[in-house]
Amino acid sequence: MRVAILFMLFASCGSVEVYAAPCTGAETQLAQVSHQLTLNSPEAAENSLRALSLSYPDCPEIILQRARLAQVKGDANQAAELYYRYTDGDPDDSRGLAYFGRFFLEQRDYMRADALSAAAVQKNAVDPVALSLRAQILVMKGQPHEAQELLEKAIQIDPDEPEAQFQLGEIYDKAKLSPKAVSYFQKVVALNPRDARAWDYLALNLEPLGDLDGAEEAYQRGLRVDQPGKYYDAFLEYNYGRFLAKRNRLSASKRHLDTAVALTPQIRAVWYERARLDMRMGNYQQAQADAEKAAACTQQGGIIDLQIYSLLSQVYARLGNTVLAKKYMDLTRETPPPVRTESR
Amino acid sequence: MNHATGRKGVETLLSAALMVLLLRSTSVWAAESDHIQFENRQPRSGVDFVLDNGTLPDKPMIDGIPGGVALLDYDGDGYLDIFFTNGAHLPDLVKHEGKFSNRLYRNNHDGTFMDVTDRAGVSGEGYSVGAAAADYDNDGHTDLYVTGFNRNFLYHNNGNGTFSDVTERARVSGTFTTGKKLWGISAAWLDYDSDGKLDLFVTNYLDWSFATSKVCGAPGKRLSCSPTLYKGQPNILYHNNGDGTFSDVSESMGIAQHIGKGMGVAVADYNGDGWMDIFVANDNDRNFLFRNRGGKGFDEVAAESFVAYTDNGVPVSGMGVDFRDWDNHGQPSLIVTALGGETFPLLHNEGNGFFSDDSYKAGIGFSSFRMSGWGTGIQDLDNDGYKDLFTANSHVSENADIEGQQRYRQPNAVFRNMHDGSFRDVTSDSGSAMQVRAAHRGCAFGDLNNDGKIDVVVSAIGGPAELLYNTTAGDRHWILIRTVGTKSNRDGIGTRVRIVGASGFVQYNHVTTAGSYASSNDPRVHFGLGADAAIQEIELRWPSGTVQVLHNVRADQILTVTEE
Repeated sequence: MRVAILFMLFASCGSVEVYAAPCTGAETQLAQVSHQLTLNSPEAAENSLRALSLSYPDCPEIILQRARLAQVKGDANQAAELYYRYTDGDPDDSRGLAYFGRFFLEQRDYMRADALSAAAVQKNAVDPVALSLRAQILVMKGQPHEAQELLEKAIQIDPDEPEAQFQLGEIYDKAKLSPKAVSYFQKVVALNPRDARAWDYLALNLEPLGDLDGAEEAYQRGLRVDQPGKYYDAFLEYNYGRFLAKRNRLSASKRHLDTAVALTPQIRAVWYERARLDMRMGNYQQAQADAEKAAACTQQGGIIDLQIYSLLSQVYARLGNTVLAKKYMDLTRETPPPVRTESR
Repeated sequence: MNHATGRKGVETLLSAALMVLLLRSTSVWAAESDHIQFENRQPRSGVDFVLDNGTLPDKPMIDGIPGGVALLDYDGDGYLDIFFTNGAHLPDLVKHEGKFSNRLYRNNHDGTFMDVTDRAGVSGEGYSVGAAAADYDNDGHTDLYVTGFNRNFLYHNNGNGTFSDVTERARVSGTFTTGKKLWGISAAWLDYDSDGKLDLFVTNYLDWSFATSKVCGAPGKRLSCSPTLYKGQPNILYHNNGDGTFSDVSESMGIAQHIGKGMGVAVADYNGDGWMDIFVANDNDRNFLFRNRGGKGFDEVAAESFVAYTDNGVPVSGMGVDFRDWDNHGQPSLIVTALGGETFPLLHNEGNGFFSDDSYKAGIGFSSFRMSGWGTGIQDLDNDGYKDLFTANSHVSENADIEGQQRYRQPNAVFRNMHDGSFRDVTSDSGSAMQVRAAHRGCAFGDLNNDGKIDVVVSAIGGPAELLYNTTAGDRHWILIRTVGTKSNRDGIGTRVRIVGASGFVQYNHVTTAGSYASSNDPRVHFGLGADAAIQEIELRWPSGTVQVLHNVRADQILTVTEE
């Protein structure tokens, strides 16, 4: 009991992962497993956990890491069961609550994720894992400034917490503050070169700064590590395809946009972008097909109706279909332009 | 080897080395001559104009948009003079202090200018924005139209160094048929019906007033509000009646039905039918292309021509515009300046009624994405026969820097035409004057010192204007053509000029003072001729329909051509 209380006190005072007696001696290996899971290396983590389970059968931390492993491997039922077991055993461990909350977030169970993230921070206001999750929830709730505070606190405690770095980068990306976003995404990819999302964001933010070679390299490195899992980025092919079109490398752009439409055919933006490329390449029939697909998509991906009408009017005009061209031209005139932010 | 032979050998070697050195020197010189260079000679020019926008802490919409410049030869001495528009005290919109006066500077032909505002009587009233110069009454003297928020003026040039305010008599006060004074920005003189008299087109911006003004951004760091918060206004077309009066034909000619947020205006015959068409850059709204229906009316065809939006199907914060043929294919194309994060649309005229947005294809997409532009011009700045691009840059919001991404004060930019449909941003190589960050606004293009190179005068909020003399090295040839209409309007505005250089190289341009942002350019048509020291043929298609051809014309001169 005393040990447990001491552990609680310790845990609430810092971010260092400190384990209870059944785990004594396994700290280094457990930290390694945690790192492997953060880096999305389930095989290595699984091997380590298997060995640890034999040596430390009563170590509850192993349950938590197994839950994370199951989550990484996509076994949601097992992950949920293990998270419940862990948090039932240690309901005050902020990390357990935070990882469980992140699991719910991935499952799109936002209510539970919200509740667990709040509880995690309440248990330990200096746990970077808890702070990162809570910040992510706050961003989703439209509270970016509060989120930013938590994230800055998290990386002050642990500068190597990649999730906090990533989320700060995302906040600056949304605010169109590319120089700051770049600095955070650079840190993320340094900590975890297998984070394809971060490479994508890094490239997207290097573009407006005019560092085109840097953006190119970031896109390519992202594509090399873009594997299914937590760090998978379904839009990397799309973004790189767009970038290549802007650099007038149309054939290469086409290859990546072809992949993009195969990966995310439900998203309007990918069809739209390929249709624009088709237009540039003079392939108006294909442009028509892609533009019509874009028009039929319900998930806009940032492409508004006005853009679709404008594109379709051009496609049909190029094809000599004056009736449909006129129909869409009229729609472009009738559709009000997007209302941008209040100030500029 | 005997001594003599040896010595000869050494001399040969030395000669060869010297030749290599000379060749190298030549190539270095040639490379340097490729660099478009500007030098700001304002400090020793006597031009002490400072654009004052009368800004207030809440940063009302009006304080971001002034700054028109006109280059006009008001005294007929063959040298361009400079007129600047200025703001007014806010919120009362009155020029009750001298610092808000519009200013006219007479060119002394030696690089200096004299302030003749008071004598000329063009100090103005109200919050002025734009200027457009041309001889509207065909009396041989260049007149001046000034747009503004609460007052527009038509100044008739009396031919004796003075102007008379004839606004009311001429009925061009910028007031809509409802009696409401519209917010005038840019103006263009054109003879839309080719009747030999110049008509007047005026762009109007927003339905804004201090009473309806919104406040954006945090206290102490206010930002300019988006124009999407306000309704737009119709543009105005005035028909010149030839008796000193004009008629508002905006509705009957198909202009007023199109409500936009008009900023820049440029005029060209984009479809080669002999009638001048009008392009209006709208701010955060679709642009307008008014296709001239044989002088009988206009059809708004921006959507049909693919110039209403960027190729991404959205409007930009359209500011300035120019409409000229940059790839010598005989059809004028467009550049539109916009705000940071948007790119400057470069709309290439395909010659089939369609335009294509070539911003990225032509290589200015990534560069211009980081710029906010106002005045702009498609001008051959290095006399190589290909027109280059110039943009006067600054963000609209004085507090834009607070957010970190945008910069209020920005250097102007120059993009060199690479002869293959692409442009290269050569700003960093174009001299220290082009590295100066300022709140640039309007700019006007013309040859201030008649040396055959296009200079640029740029206004800047809160700072001295910039007199950017073109000091590009090299001995490339050029010609400036001054048109004098007889059947056509006296300025020859609307005349399309085609030249064939001695080498057979063909170029196109046309006579206009419109273009840029709220500004008015040299009416003389400029061509860079590269190595061609002579011109085989100059063909002028006057608005009257007269086609006049000149043969074997010497380069490097200012040629006056009177309509036959």
